[in-house]
Formats: sequence, C-alpha cells, structure tokens
Amino acid sequence: MATKSSPAPYRLNSVDRHGRQIDPAVLAAAEEIFPRALDYSLNVLGDSAVVANMLEEVAARTTQLLKAKDPPGEPAPIHNLAAYVFRAFARDVNRLRSKQLVLVSSSEASQELPRWTDPSRQLMIKILTDEFLARCDSATQDMFALRMQGFSWDEIGRMNGISAHAAEKRFSQAFRRALGRLKMLKRPK
Amino acid sequence: MGHYARRHGLILQMRTKKRRKDAPEISEEEFLTSAKAYLSTDFPNPQRIGCPPESELKTLAEHPRQAEQSARQHITCCSPCFNRYMEILADLKRRKAG
Repeated sequence: MATKSSPAPYRLNSVDRHGRQIDPAVLAAAEEIFPRALDYSLNVLGDSAVVANMLEEVAARTTQLLKAKDPPGEPAPIHNLAAYVFRAFARDVNRLRSKQLVLVSSSEASQELPRWTDPSRQLMIKILTDEFLARCDSATQDMFALRMQGFSWDEIGRMNGISAHAAEKRFSQAFRRALGRLKMLKRPK
Repeated sequence: MGHYARRHGLILQMRTKKRRKDAPEISEEEFLTSAKAYLSTDFPNPQRIGCPPESELKTLAEHPRQAEQSARQHITCCSPCFNRYMEILADLKRRKAG
C-alpha cells in the first residue's frame, strides 16, 4: 500500500474565479487530488479546465473554513486536507449530476423504473451519504461503518461503551438530519 | 385546556402528515446498502494516493478511539481503503461471533 504521495504534477491557481485566495497547504492538497478529481468528474464536467475551476472553488471554500474555525492555539478541525477537499469536491459534483439528471428524467417521465435501478434514486442516496458524512462526528461515522458491515446495535453499543438504544438513537438522529438536508437541497429555489 | 390540547394535537397530526409527504422515502436499511455500494466503488484510487498503512486501518477497525482522524477521513473517499477496512471489520465480526 502506497503511503506517501508524490509531489503534485498539476498546478492550480492560488485564487479561484471569484477572486478568493487559497491557502498554500490547501492548494497543495487540491493539486495532489487533481488526477482523481479529473477521473471522478470528467464525464459530468466535460473539460479539465472546468474541473480545475471547480476544484479551486472548493479549495477557496476550505481555506475560508480553516480561517473561520482555526483560531491560533486551537487544533486544526480538518485532519486530512486532501481527503476533505476531495469529499467536498465529490459532494459538489453529485449535486451537479442531480441537476443534470432532473433534465433527463423529465424527458423520460413516462418510464416507471424499479426503485433499485432508478438512477435518480441512486444519486439521491449518494448525495444523502455525502451529507451524512459531512455532518456526523467520528463516533457516529464508526457506527455507520459497523452497521454497514452488519453489526447489531447491541454489538455497536458494547464497542462504544453505551447502550444499544443509545447507539441506535445517535445514528438515527444523524440519518434524519442528513435526510432533512437532502430535502432542503431538493427544494426548488 | 382540553380544547387547546385537542387543537394542538390536531395541528401536530397535520404537521406530521405533511412531513411524511415531503420526506424522501429512504429507509435506513436502503441507505446502508446503497451507501456501502457507493463508497466501495465510486472512488477508485489505482495509484493509492494518500493511502494510510494497513496498520492504521486495523487500528481504526479494532480500536477506533485510538485511530488517526486522518485515516477515518481518507476511507470516505478511497474505495480500496474502504473495502479493506470493511474486510477487517468483517474479520472482527467473525472473531467476536466465534
């Protein structure tokens, strides 16, 4: 397993298209993930320059977040800048995909698809996952992983030193918060 | 008071119905299944950029409180590491059951 990344061969601008500055560390992280961002989004964005623009915007937003949440002496809220920037980028791309899908879906509205093959439903759950991961704390993320792997609430509670009911409640609250956020995103502006 | 409670109850009922109608019908079970499929396939990382060592994934699965937050963030955007982490968790589940 490769551990350390090699120097980024891609160069992004240190200012995004809205004129916002990007912190050098955030810029380096964005340049590091640029090839992966390109693979992830080229079919949606269509052009590497557009991918670069979008990534710069995410990097500028991350810079603002770091400045807002990182007063001197406080620990950094983001522990893995590259992963954070990539996750935020994937979130933006999925939201864009959902807008494109609405246009396609309305032209194929007469076709009824089973739930599990419906691409708009699959995309909705991807956005829901993005929202869930963006907002949950580390303990809830661990519970989410354990639940995905089929652990019971009893086992999850025991591993976290809480009751099964408390573990289930904690996860359900985070899930409902993400569902609420998804509903807000779907609401027409 | 009784009248108020009845009215208040009615209002709550109406709100609940409206909320049910608006909410996307996604069960926790469907969410878990689809999220697992999403995280395990949508983030290929053939060059293994930024991947933590195997030992960190093991710590994350077996002793999550001692794990690096950075590894936790990484598995949400790297399918190979996410899949390995899921394998370690499956192993852990088997050991706990046996």
